[in-house]
Amino acid sequence: MDWITNWLANSAIVQDIITLAKPATFNLYFALISIPLGFPFAMLLALGKNSKNRILSTLSKAYIYAFRGSPLFIQFFMFYSFALSLNRSLWKPWGIDEIVLHPLFLGPLVLVLNTSAYAAEIFYGVMRTVPNGQIEAARAIGMNRWQEFWSVTWPNTIRLAWPAYTNEVVFLFHATALVYFTLPVINDQKDLMNKAGELFEKDYNVFLHFSVAALYFVAISMFIFFTFGLVQKYLSRHIRKEERQKFRFKPNYMR
Amino acid sequence: MTSTVLKIDNIKKRFGELEVLHGLSLEAQKGDVISLIGSSGSGKSTFLRCINLLEIPEEGDISLSGELISLKTSRSGVRSAADPKQVQHLRSRIGMVFQQFNLWSHLTILQNVMEAPIRVQGLAKAEAKEIALEFLNKVGIADKQDVYPAFLSGGQQQRAAIARALAMRPDAILFDEPTSALDPELVGEVLGVMRRLAEEGTTMIVVTHEMAFARDVSNKAIFLHQGLIEEQGHPSEMFTSPKSIRLQQFLSNTAA
Repeated sequence: MDWITNWLANSAIVQDIITLAKPATFNLYFALISIPLGFPFAMLLALGKNSKNRILSTLSKAYIYAFRGSPLFIQFFMFYSFALSLNRSLWKPWGIDEIVLHPLFLGPLVLVLNTSAYAAEIFYGVMRTVPNGQIEAARAIGMNRWQEFWSVTWPNTIRLAWPAYTNEVVFLFHATALVYFTLPVINDQKDLMNKAGELFEKDYNVFLHFSVAALYFVAISMFIFFTFGLVQKYLSRHIRKEERQKFRFKPNYMR
Repeated sequence: MTSTVLKIDNIKKRFGELEVLHGLSLEAQKGDVISLIGSSGSGKSTFLRCINLLEIPEEGDISLSGELISLKTSRSGVRSAADPKQVQHLRSRIGMVFQQFNLWSHLTILQNVMEAPIRVQGLAKAEAKEIALEFLNKVGIADKQDVYPAFLSGGQQQRAAIARALAMRPDAILFDEPTSALDPELVGEVLGVMRRLAEEGTTMIVVTHEMAFARDVSNKAIFLHQGLIEEQGHPSEMFTSPKSIRLQQFLSNTAA
């Protein structure tokens, strides 16, 4: 069995997989921070857009439009230069410049702001398709707006929005590759794309290094599709099998 | 000794320019079973929906057990509840059963019946479950308590919806064409439950096309025509010797 260990030790692919393991944790970090924070914010934005209050709905609409309408790439640049410009007047005197300007803070911040706009649009669209009769039944039995939301709107919205939201989560994960294209790399805190670029610059083997980086993205996306698929199955437990086919989950592997 | 549960006074309802209810009044004593009949478009369902303010009437008053529900008119002329809490209280005291059942699809039958007692009345889970099972037994679907609505027949769903209304122990229940969406062979089981409720003294206001039910079960019938009360009285008289020509026509059409 020596040849296997030999091959493993000398294989360029295996070497790359090992080298890129730590950088992958940075992509995971960005996604794992941004998704749980973006989710409730998106739900609030969707409620805001759906609100009868004109000011609230206009503000939510404007926010969603701004973040969906501009490239994420430019949002990173804008937030970084904006944060830099306030450095001398605010962050430095307050002593928080190390935190505010750090990519591990600024990166998730921009990602949260961006993904919540996209997810909010999904939730908003779905909220409007929640069966009206079920909402009416909640009102007719004496529920207030808040009770009506938790009893009817929320569970229906989550189930109906889940497949589309799954795609948004995967897109967000892929978008983490953009963080270090715009923000400075501190020490050796490189993500997959950055590290793959560094390896590429040493031997110009574009095919190998970026393929292995892509492999990480594909593998983790697969994991997301799988776990989110299980959740979807759970959320659809009250739907008859033949109806469930219509909601079949169609993963979007490529953006 | 009777007491007035619901008093509806001179309800007028407009949809845009079109006035669909031209001043309807109704009084329900405890234990009354009132049937609202009439051809489609006569305003029966709209009238029923005005009673628990799912539709806000442009004019008219509603009082529950003597308490007037206060409505306010905005500067643009739109009427709304002066105090949403009062309206929510009214609704929690008056059950409603819909034509399309409108059960909450993501909850089991038992959870459907428990939901409002827990959320609205603030009952403890165990207590709500006890009450829910009592009423599921009463409508005869306790064995389906852990099933989701989509897996039940229309008749079973409608009985669950009745149990959901009953679990709030309401002062009165509104039925909006409860059997119209059912296959003919399932109508009987729902009407049977309603008949039993009527015998037990539940106050009910029923919009229905089931003339036999209106005639046999209710103690008051109201015939609506184009948003007005054309004729009302005890069903035994109304169905055997209708006074107005329109009711005569309506009855001969429905009998045929």
